[in-house]
Amino acid sequence: MSTIFELISQFKAIADDPKKAMDDFKKETGKGAVGIMPVYCPEEIVHAAGYLPIGMWGAQGKQISKARTLLPPFACSIMQSVMELQLEGAYDELDAVIFSVPCDTLKCMSQKWKGSAPQIVFTHPQNRKHAQTAANVFCRAEYAHIKEELEDILGVKITKKALQNSIAIYNENRAACREFSDLVAANPGLIKLRDRHAVIKARWFMPKEKHTAMLKELNEAIKAADKAPFNGKKVVVSGITLEPYDVLDIFEENGFAIVWDDLAQEGRNFRQDVEYDEDPLMALAKAWNAFDGCSLATDADKPKGGMLIDALKKYDADAVIVCMMKFCDPEEFDYPILLLQFEEAGVKHIQVEIDQESTSFEQLRTRIQTFAEVL
Amino acid sequence: MYTLGIDIGSSSSKAVIMKDGKEVVSSAVIQVGTGTSGPDRVMGEVFKNIDLTPEDIRFTVATGYGRFSVEKADKQISEISCHAKGIYFLHPEARTIIDIGGQDAKAIRLDAKGNIGQFVMNDKCAAGTGRFVDVMSRVLEIPLSEMGNVHFKATEWAFVSSTCTVFAESEVISLLSQGVSRENIVAGVHQSVASKACSLVYRVGVNDDIVMCGGVAQNPGAVDAIRKQLNKPVIVAQNPQVTGALGAALFAYENVKWLPED
Repeated sequence: MSTIFELISQFKAIADDPKKAMDDFKKETGKGAVGIMPVYCPEEIVHAAGYLPIGMWGAQGKQISKARTLLPPFACSIMQSVMELQLEGAYDELDAVIFSVPCDTLKCMSQKWKGSAPQIVFTHPQNRKHAQTAANVFCRAEYAHIKEELEDILGVKITKKALQNSIAIYNENRAACREFSDLVAANPGLIKLRDRHAVIKARWFMPKEKHTAMLKELNEAIKAADKAPFNGKKVVVSGITLEPYDVLDIFEENGFAIVWDDLAQEGRNFRQDVEYDEDPLMALAKAWNAFDGCSLATDADKPKGGMLIDALKKYDADAVIVCMMKFCDPEEFDYPILLLQFEEAGVKHIQVEIDQESTSFEQLRTRIQTFAEVL
Repeated sequence: MYTLGIDIGSSSSKAVIMKDGKEVVSSAVIQVGTGTSGPDRVMGEVFKNIDLTPEDIRFTVATGYGRFSVEKADKQISEISCHAKGIYFLHPEARTIIDIGGQDAKAIRLDAKGNIGQFVMNDKCAAGTGRFVDVMSRVLEIPLSEMGNVHFKATEWAFVSSTCTVFAESEVISLLSQGVSRENIVAGVHQSVASKACSLVYRVGVNDDIVMCGGVAQNPGAVDAIRKQLNKPVIVAQNPQVTGALGAALFAYENVKWLPED
């Protein structure tokens, strides 16, 4: 059995070099890759086509220049970075790019795609909670549209059986990720925060069955490991992403361990499975409409605060850290609601700003150190 | 037992020596901060005119933006915790602290025991900080130390936005070219600082017992604008620039108070 260190190094190599991961996949299978723009794309459809779905989450610490001519300054740093990479031709080797449009920035980005790969744009239904039957039908139709466009672009037929198989593979990966997250939470001194992040992020750049196989091995190695010393504080984190790595290092320096994440790049993708339905596209549609707790997924009942408080109790965490993506208006609109829910429940909490482009972290360091001192 | 608190900010360096965590023996401020001669000079200054040497100091806590660059420090504690500690020592009735320094503005909520309940600070933006007032004083050709006096000569305040120092600077230039009086522009600058600071205070909750510290607390114009905007009394801490260093010296004492005297 490989050691924890060896396995994490492999995950990190993939998470830090998606281009190489894509090239390796192409060499191995003779098939290409389809870009998956954030957030909540039914990747299973791409997987069922035999292509590699590859996440497009921008780049850490990348200086933005050309993108400034195309995007307003208040577009989030992920989109700034994705636009810069588009203009540099970083995505030109993709066979297609799929855009969901759950926020204004993504909606506008999808209408000014500058890469050479063909794009597929789809919409999630807004009426998903109060008119669920109609929302399921609408969402299924949008997913069918993705499937048909992919079939045309890639020249492959995506069969019902292949889609059902892909859903099963993704569910298995989700279960392995949930187990990994729980194992890390149960032995918080063992895995560094940046390593936890890399292990989960790697799933965006590799076939899920491979990620699952590696992750199961890592999970076994973690189970076999001794309890690591830990006298810091356990936290639940919420937001779109928790990058750059420097942010995680500051958390680590101040003794924080993440025991549960509610991040659009991480845990929100694997905290629930896709339930079986005879019609696999309907199964995917129902799963999205049942999904809760993301500011980008319309839900007038606003269950996120309650979900975070429940997670805090379940994992015996000390506090919630809200990692606010700078200029993410859906998340910013939701924050005052969270604030009231936290105050009412007596939950210790802090909000920190996340900016992928940032290379200076002194104010963040002060906030996090103070929060550690307060706890 | 003597302890030292040293607060290396972005635009000034402060130090406080305390005896037995009760009495301030010496304090010093040098108006340049991290990365300058300020940290060394403030160490020289704080020992000037007292019968103590650095060897007499039992424990040193560094705070402020440059806290990790103080080699002689035994421990680093964030400036938010240190300001809260220092203010509670001076004003145990304080429940809300407004600290506006060179490049940061913070609002801190305290409980009756002086514990921090909640705090917020500005993001990467100089609007509403000491640097903002500093830039405007240069554009207006009014010494920083005079900004407060000029404020009270205003007949009304001119609108200066609070979103960005660079934009606000061009607004001030535009107001000057329109012939708006400098007094009214100064009042507008302070109003802009108040609007930014109060937005932080609203986020931690407004209480009656509000104490202000940090370099901007020495500007009576800015304090007046904050008082008016909050419609509450705002107490200015005694020697408001050194409350962070004071808190650091108090934390230093808490680290060693149980040790026997040498």
